[in-house]
Amino acid sequence: MIDFSRVQKELQECSKDIEASGIKVTPVSDNLVHLTGIIPGPVGTPYEGGTFRLDITLPDGYPFEPPKMHFVTKVWHPNISSQSGAICLDILKDQWSPALTLKTALLSVQALLSAPAPDDPQDAVVAQQYLKDHQTFLSTARYWTESFAKTSSLGVEEKVQKLVEMGFPESQVRSTLEIVGGDENMALEKLLSS
Amino acid sequence: MEAEEHEIELADKEAFSDEFKCCVCLELLYKPVVLACGHISCFWCVYNAMNSWHESNCPVCRNPYNHFPSICHLLHFLLKKLYPLTYEKRERQVAEEEKQLGHFSPQVGYNLFGSPTNKEVDILGKSLDSPSQQQIKLYSESRFSGEGKSSPCMKSLEMTAESGDDAMLKLVTSSECSEATANSTAQECGLVGNDLEHKAENWVSVDDLSCAACKKMLFKPVVLNCGHVFCELCLFVPEDGNFKCPNCQSLQPYGLPSVCLIIEHFLEERFSDLYAERKEALLKQTSGATQARHRKNRSASFPKLVYASLWLGNGPKIHFGVGCDYCGMSPIIGERYKCKDCVESIGFDLCEACHNNPAKVPGRFNQQHKPEHKFEIMQPTSLSDLINRINSDMSDDEGSDATENRDGVARTGDLSGDVPEDPENDTNDLEDASSCFLPVDASLDPQDDSDERSSDFP
Repeated sequence: MIDFSRVQKELQECSKDIEASGIKVTPVSDNLVHLTGIIPGPVGTPYEGGTFRLDITLPDGYPFEPPKMHFVTKVWHPNISSQSGAICLDILKDQWSPALTLKTALLSVQALLSAPAPDDPQDAVVAQQYLKDHQTFLSTARYWTESFAKTSSLGVEEKVQKLVEMGFPESQVRSTLEIVGGDENMALEKLLSS
Repeated sequence: MEAEEHEIELADKEAFSDEFKCCVCLELLYKPVVLACGHISCFWCVYNAMNSWHESNCPVCRNPYNHFPSICHLLHFLLKKLYPLTYEKRERQVAEEEKQLGHFSPQVGYNLFGSPTNKEVDILGKSLDSPSQQQIKLYSESRFSGEGKSSPCMKSLEMTAESGDDAMLKLVTSSECSEATANSTAQECGLVGNDLEHKAENWVSVDDLSCAACKKMLFKPVVLNCGHVFCELCLFVPEDGNFKCPNCQSLQPYGLPSVCLIIEHFLEERFSDLYAERKEALLKQTSGATQARHRKNRSASFPKLVYASLWLGNGPKIHFGVGCDYCGMSPIIGERYKCKDCVESIGFDLCEACHNNPAKVPGRFNQQHKPEHKFEIMQPTSLSDLINRINSDMSDDEGSDATENRDGVARTGDLSGDVPEDPENDTNDLEDASSCFLPVDASLDPQDDSDERSSDFP
């Protein structure tokens, strides 16, 4: 059984210093099993200025089993799959400890963005590029941040209108936008794949 | 019911120091257990975080350990005094969980350190009416049996659950019968709530925090595997490694544990003058050499390799998923003695050393074990049985499998369970029920040397 009272406490703690850390955790549904995490791209990296969204699912054994996390926002990083958003990070696997929280885990993911470990890659293509052609890696990562991790300046209504004009039903557009957190690119992708 | 709600409300207002927040459940520590590295968690939090397949790691510092320490009574009573309302709330919470679980934590019935429990009784009695009186009765009874040393028999937890029910009932009836009574109780509670900080200051005295050996206030407190607390300098670790608790004579699995910084910090804050005094006096007394003598390297008592012997087929027997009810070794390495007469579903098991040297403590899960009970030697679950079990679990219907295995009890570190638990509980990535056997193997002992496994696997 998930310790829901602990999850509740974690959410409270996390919302307290949202200003300082920039890390946000919000439940997707009421049941607290499915959550969304948001981390700002670390300063001084190609991810700077980006806002990265992660999908978090809590296993039944939480907090004694690690939360399942993957990036929803596309990221160009040796330890994050450019396709699926899967994260290669020990604390999310065998090095998990029940003393860690969603916030500390997200902080670790943020630290991973600043300090890639190309020798233990999740995405071999990115890792190769990181090692062999670092300049291209930096510019690709920056480009991906620009394209996928920056929320567009359009308001919600404008986004809805834009997508509706493309031929999607309005109710579906609204719910999809909500799921992906207002990112029109991701919403479009999701709408196309559904 | 009103009064109870009011109590809970008050308990929420009773702020407690972050130092006493359990790092696992993020609530006030309840029935605190201090690991050899000096970090503290609740009894059930440690139990749930333990690994039934190999050594466990401290949730905070990952220090490896393979003994589940006993509850630290000193800390238990300290917290009870400091935060009576929150502690009460936690007590109720945990009792409820335990009832659902069907397994119980040991009763902390009497104060080993002779702290003035009467005072506590008075105040609790006043503020909380019937439930606490019930408890007090329970405490005094169990204290009796503890002092009498007749047997490790403590008040049965089922009884507690029952009396708890009674108490609740009483409370309900009293509040239903006369609202006035309920209100007055609530008012008193309110008084206690407002006055809390002030009273707590008065309650906690040096007597509550004294070393079991020198009887003075603790200085650099260390908590042993048996839960007893001493000044670091009051303990002496003999060369042969046969380090026993001066209080209960139980053998310590590791050398000297690390100083419990949380207790130390509390002492420094609450009794700053006295603590400084102690420090000065001890500095004069002891030379650096004595200090160095204590600085023994602490390590897990079994090398990691031991746990691989399941696969290697050599080395000592390992009883995966079963722990010793006296010393807390989990999993049991060597012979396993299972009690034939204990009726509790969690069972009662001892390791060889504890079987030959029975201690006078109740079981880890409050089993009512008696000295006249008979033991039988159990063989560890064989490799083929394990495989069968894993396979049968996997072929099971997914739905039922999930509910069964994810059940709180069946999770990890079942200290006394009969059969090793489904390894799925200890794995992180194993989701696919159809995955072949090898990944299961790999997940059983992720920290093992992988070469060994692949070459020696039958």
